[in-house]
Amino acid sequence: MSTQHSKKANIFVKDTAVVDRHDATFWAVRSKRDKMAHEVPEWEDLRDAASMIKKHTVTHLADYLEKFAANAEKNGVHVHWAKDADEYNAIVLGILGEHGVKKVVKSKSMLTEECCLNDSLAAHGIDVVETDLGERILQLLGVPPSHIVMPAIHITREQVLECFRGHGIIEKEGRKAAESMHGDLNTLIAEADPTFLTRCARYHLRDNFMTADCGMTGANFGIAETGEVVVCTNEGNADMSTSIPPLHIVSMGIEKLIPDYKSMAVFQRLLARNGTGQPTTVYTSHFRRPRPGSEMHIILVDNGRSDILGNEDHWQTLKCMRCGACMNTCPVYRRSGGYSYSYFIPGPIGINLGMLRDSDRHYGNCSACSLCCSCDNVCPVKVDLSSQIYKWRQQLDSMHHADPMKKTMSEGMKIMFDHPDLYTSALKVAPVANHLPDWLTGMAMKPWCYGHTMPVFAKKSFHQLWKSDLKNKN
Amino acid sequence: MKVGLFIPCYVDALYPEVGVSTYRLLRSLGVDVDYPEKQTCCGQPMGNAGFQGKSEKLVESFDELFRGYDYVVAPSASCTSYVRFFHPEIVGHECEAAGKTVDLVEFLHDILKVKSLPARFPHKVSLHNSCHGVRELGLSSPTERNIPQFNKIKDLLQLVDGITVLEPERPDECCGFGGMFSVEETGVSTKMGTDKLHRHMATGAEYITGPDSSCLMHMQGIAAKQKFPIKFIHVAQILAGGL
Amino acid sequence: MTTKDTILNNLRRNVREKYDKPDLSFAKLEYSDPVAAFIQTATTAAGAKVLEMQEGDDINELIRKSYPDAKTIASNVPGIKADRNPDEVCKPQDLDGTDVSVVEGTVGCAENACIWVPQTMKQRAVCFICEYLVIILDRRNIVNNMHEAYSRIEMPEMGFGAFISGPSKTADIEQALVYGAQSFCGVTIILR
Repeated sequence: MSTQHSKKANIFVKDTAVVDRHDATFWAVRSKRDKMAHEVPEWEDLRDAASMIKKHTVTHLADYLEKFAANAEKNGVHVHWAKDADEYNAIVLGILGEHGVKKVVKSKSMLTEECCLNDSLAAHGIDVVETDLGERILQLLGVPPSHIVMPAIHITREQVLECFRGHGIIEKEGRKAAESMHGDLNTLIAEADPTFLTRCARYHLRDNFMTADCGMTGANFGIAETGEVVVCTNEGNADMSTSIPPLHIVSMGIEKLIPDYKSMAVFQRLLARNGTGQPTTVYTSHFRRPRPGSEMHIILVDNGRSDILGNEDHWQTLKCMRCGACMNTCPVYRRSGGYSYSYFIPGPIGINLGMLRDSDRHYGNCSACSLCCSCDNVCPVKVDLSSQIYKWRQQLDSMHHADPMKKTMSEGMKIMFDHPDLYTSALKVAPVANHLPDWLTGMAMKPWCYGHTMPVFAKKSFHQLWKSDLKNKN
Repeated sequence: MKVGLFIPCYVDALYPEVGVSTYRLLRSLGVDVDYPEKQTCCGQPMGNAGFQGKSEKLVESFDELFRGYDYVVAPSASCTSYVRFFHPEIVGHECEAAGKTVDLVEFLHDILKVKSLPARFPHKVSLHNSCHGVRELGLSSPTERNIPQFNKIKDLLQLVDGITVLEPERPDECCGFGGMFSVEETGVSTKMGTDKLHRHMATGAEYITGPDSSCLMHMQGIAAKQKFPIKFIHVAQILAGGL
Repeated sequence: MTTKDTILNNLRRNVREKYDKPDLSFAKLEYSDPVAAFIQTATTAAGAKVLEMQEGDDINELIRKSYPDAKTIASNVPGIKADRNPDEVCKPQDLDGTDVSVVEGTVGCAENACIWVPQTMKQRAVCFICEYLVIILDRRNIVNNMHEAYSRIEMPEMGFGAFISGPSKTADIEQALVYGAQSFCGVTIILR
């Protein structure tokens, strides 16, 4: 009995030092989030409000999208519609082609990850530079993110140093970085100092901001009433990406829409507190019109979202604002790491989104949940994450992805629990199992015995005790 | 008040003393307790495995068996929660018994409103706030939420003479049992259990106690395998001490 | 049928139950002294410096004292002595190398030290490209929370504005908090 997730997790979990570091890192974020939640007296009101605003917006989404698009166009923004990843990538390529773009600076966007934009651009000879530090590190290393908010958290500073050295960044920017810190270059290198490495990246990326032909961003929110998009970052990379090049392309999932500024206030208060445990992101940037002399495009991407709306059990995943809190709190994510999941979004929301994307590829993640329900309690928009995972498990059999062993066990349980006489007879003989040799029970109960000793059956079950001792005293 | 006692299958087979304690405790509080002998399981193991459909008949039998009582009381937060919240969904109609099913802690704290107990337990215990107890039944306030803090299990344990009730760091993080989870995700489940045990032991407690024998069974199995010096006892056994 | 129509039709067809917009009238975080709360948040969580202007203070002197090594100051704020003007540079790249930019904020928020900085200059790069940012804010424009802030802010003609709370930050390398990621490394808020 193993799954795609459990196989990878069983390997990850073997290195105790790595697992403990990963767990402690994300528990610290969860703790910071708790502190933030407890500092805002109306926290639970905000969660209720956020959930209701999203429910309202996604169930009136067609109207809001029309309003948003009309307002954006009035603001002088070009609005495009993409039904899937292919159409989206083609639109981006079209815009870049028209402008003769050779280099794109890009701020973090999970949607572009979902649509594999970077591969598409690279295949057409366009130089894409990720500008979020974590994303840039991963891009240079050639590995995918392991978390949606802190994508490179699993990489050590020494790995970052090696990577930067390999790409000539230390050689080119190291001296300037050390000078800016009034530090000694060799010492900073020897210590793989995070501030030093960040400064190296700063100067390396600065060159790219100066020479890019286009800046691309995602959108944390789209505001229907004004036709503007809101992008939240800590590094300021979205602002750098969009205030220098003459072209700004926004990629926005259609579910990112909210009605107005009043709603925006609710989400602004929840996003960073919940995601990283900060009272706000450093930048909450509102883009309504193109810069003088430049162009701004918004691509509204469906890619399966309008179908999810019709899914009775899972439509509320559309409320998700990708804060990452469900990953941080998930005891399974913290101990299995992002790469144990087959979908690029890990953790509770990723299990659900992966199944909605392609259940044949991602059903192996459904085991990665102990149904502890902590995710339901941190989610700022109250997505019923654990209930949804439970529901996926119920559907695996009809998808032909059920584990045969679990099916056999469930059938056996059905027979026993549907027949009280059979059940009580089994109780009577159960203690025999206590006397079976370890190798035999160990074989039958192999997965349990990986981490546990066998439980010991009582000499007399409660059923028997009731009959012999308790019943007559009644 | 007539109470139907529900002793979930694994308590029945592995921890009958928890059932006996529950029975004695309820009797001592003047409750008329009956144990319908044709009971088996709440159906959670099948649901957890992805086959809740296979428990339809069981759910109907459960409702038939228990609907005549004023309350159905079980010494297991997780099974209680499964009955109360999942039974109606499984069979697609309201279940009379499910609506009246409560965990022992809820029954003592909210319904009987017990204010004193004759029990004595001069030991340090570390309280295991199990997930479904915390987040489905509301036996304590989940640490994730900004609501007034409470803990019904702790309230009851503190009625016991001589006891010292401690709580581990990360007081309501999952121990990693999760039913099928523990055999399907062996590595992560064992790691979660080991971490949880370390935090419980770090309180200096002699016992780990909680309202769910399932979590205790999981941690006990890991503790035995790794030879951790810690003992386990169900809340019912402490509360019924001396009866 | 266009892609737009396909998407909108699919959305309309797939709605199962419509939900109303919620009531947002619940009580919200307020401070007995929002200005003091703002300063507290700005100087701790946000990592900014706050200077409270006194009667007779010269703002240019305050800026100069805060950044004595600054060689290049950029601003279009009337009365601010600057070497570069974001309204007059040919292209945003010309603002690279700016040591200190001076901009005006219109609303400050006590709960998270956000300051609304509207684009009131031709090249908004001036707000981000500098090593250090000075934001001038009228203390009378400090509100309690983001609900109040969003009811006050106005989008300028240029069509861009940002809430800014302290210097650019990252913790992407081993969770070590570093100021000065891609944008300014430090912020001084001048309250007048």
